[in-house]
Amino acid sequence: MTPAAAYCFAADLGGTKLAAAIADARGSIVAELTEATDRRGAAQVAEQIAGCADKLAKTVGIEVTQARQVMVGIPGAVNPGTGRVSLTPNIAGLEDFDILGYLRGRFAAHVTIENDVNLAMLGEYALGCASGCRNAAFLSLGTGTGLGLLIDGRLFRGARGLAGEIADLPIGRDPASNSPSASGTFEHEVSSLAIVDRYRLQGGTAATTVRNIFRLLEQGDDVAASVLDTTARWVALALVTLQSLLDLDLVVLGGSIGVRPELYERVRLALPALFSRPIAIAPSALGDRAGLIGAVWAATQALSRRPEAA
Amino acid sequence: MSPPPITSVTRQLSRRSVFEALLHRSPISRADLAKVTSLSKQTMSEVIDAFEQQGLVRPVGRTRGNVGRTAVLYELSPEGGHVLGIDLGAQRLTVALADIAGRVLAEADEATDGRGGGWALDQIARLSDRLARDNHTHPSRIRSIVMATPGVVNPRSGAIELAPNITGLDHLNVVGLLGEKLGSPVVLENDINLALLGEIWHGCARNVDNVAFLALGSGVGLGLHVNGRLVRGENGAAGEIGYLPIGGDPLQAESRPQGCLEYQIGATGVVRRYREAGGRDVETERQVFDRAQAGDAVAASVVEETARLTALAAATVIATVDPQLLVLGGSVGARADFADKVARLLLQLSPRPVEIRTSILGRRAGVVGALSVALRRLHDEFFGVAELAATLPLPPPARRGASQ
Repeated sequence: MTPAAAYCFAADLGGTKLAAAIADARGSIVAELTEATDRRGAAQVAEQIAGCADKLAKTVGIEVTQARQVMVGIPGAVNPGTGRVSLTPNIAGLEDFDILGYLRGRFAAHVTIENDVNLAMLGEYALGCASGCRNAAFLSLGTGTGLGLLIDGRLFRGARGLAGEIADLPIGRDPASNSPSASGTFEHEVSSLAIVDRYRLQGGTAATTVRNIFRLLEQGDDVAASVLDTTARWVALALVTLQSLLDLDLVVLGGSIGVRPELYERVRLALPALFSRPIAIAPSALGDRAGLIGAVWAATQALSRRPEAA
Repeated sequence: MSPPPITSVTRQLSRRSVFEALLHRSPISRADLAKVTSLSKQTMSEVIDAFEQQGLVRPVGRTRGNVGRTAVLYELSPEGGHVLGIDLGAQRLTVALADIAGRVLAEADEATDGRGGGWALDQIARLSDRLARDNHTHPSRIRSIVMATPGVVNPRSGAIELAPNITGLDHLNVVGLLGEKLGSPVVLENDINLALLGEIWHGCARNVDNVAFLALGSGVGLGLHVNGRLVRGENGAAGEIGYLPIGGDPLQAESRPQGCLEYQIGATGVVRRYREAGGRDVETERQVFDRAQAGDAVAASVVEETARLTALAAATVIATVDPQLLVLGGSVGARADFADKVARLLLQLSPRPVEIRTSILGRRAGVVGALSVALRRLHDEFFGVAELAATLPLPPPARRGASQ
């Protein structure tokens, strides 16, 4: 009897939705699904992830134990030494829940967890717009902000897995103020909440979501245009920061706000005046699937390094 | 050319492991070397005999205390090869000579020739020759030379670019000319990167792999070391943090050449801000810092603002690259009074602070880093094995005459 073929299970956990896929050992996705994230909390979410694997395995007609490699993207920081997660405000209780331990208990497989934006970076590197890059970043803009870094051809996680936690980048409003605490942070300027607040502050009344603001922009709303100009300038300043520090080849803009061409164009136009060398940017080619595709790719890479598992 | 026979790789591996043991455990007997390397006594004798003939090792005494025969102890001979480290700074030129075991034999420094260009290169050659002569070291024994310079080395022209504080190096093939003058190829590397490697080998960052080195002096710059390697960026311009959009509006024309941050906290920025605030009779940033300490309120507020902007830059580095350790260096950054201010401000700015240390090598950091790279290159030249990517670990630093 020949051993059953090896598969990978990959998932991308977000605050609102959970995407999951099963791929064969060569990385071709054979089944994929998306569900709304269980709002009850970490334990239920962890169970939901395992449930997705069961459902997908049934669809494909394999045993779930044939998934020899599991990779799950987490919307927060993952300590590369301990596997503990932090900075996960969108999943209640996740910081105090040993999700890696739970998943290792549920799967007869090698299980790895990784920051979701790091996986999006890998997705763009493997199959998207950053192929061939050795020094690149994936800047995710949406409800929150995140950054995945590729340095010298490898993911760059930092000493505690906190590299790229640029929500705290101290480049916000009033950087010349005399009080350190008056310095805003990047996320306070560009998160979806910040964009909606800015729209209201500038006298706009009609919008309660960023999506609405983009719709109003299409209809010629001046306040919406001005709000996006301001947002784009903050994004451009973050790009100047990254380029000064790391001298990158390419920065991919992603996330629900980052992929919008209206924002991307404004950022592109703002950059030359702010930095003397060119900064290459590109919109995410994989869109909201970047994280899942990166997870599949990373899982197959890991599987191929373990010939005994295949 | 046919590939080398397998035995030569085996022999090179034996030689390499004996050399490594000598590097880290001298003085040591043949028997102990055989134990440490797991090589046979026969192989050990062959390797040691060859090393002695090459002048790589020398006997330094005999084991004592045990009953029975005593054994000869060996150490790496200073005659085995020398390396030269050079730090070309805008103010000071420093040169140091070390032997193959990493023992610093001599060091000298003088004010950099302000005329720059070819004069500075002549000065480097003169000082290096004098150092070698005073140590009775024939120039041909210097096998590896590394020089720290500000700016970025253009790999095509061999010129040093983006180093506005030393004139005339951007039109010269510095790599080629200096190699001719010193009679041996010279490797150039950014001074902040080398200062960082110096602190890792010999200074405050020993045994720390993930280090950010923030240097503030004439200019401002950052070195990053992760997973055993320097982070250089796509064009070698990583760490050019003078261009961070901190301390002003990056659209402002007057700050563009230097960069927004350096325009404020580089040496000329500190002096300019002190003058703008009413400070008088001032030439150097050092005067501003000294006066702040002596109670000059205007100078104190300029220093405070400099510390605040430096802390913002450090918070940016921490948020982006999450280092294990942040080292403050450079003539201003390493001042204890200044570093304390930055550390205090950083606690307010950064939600996840990292450990901060100040450079303990100070002005010597660059030349020590240059020596460490020169040593690695020499060890690689002698004992490199194509199949082994990793270089030999450097021994702990030792001064002349120091022996374990």
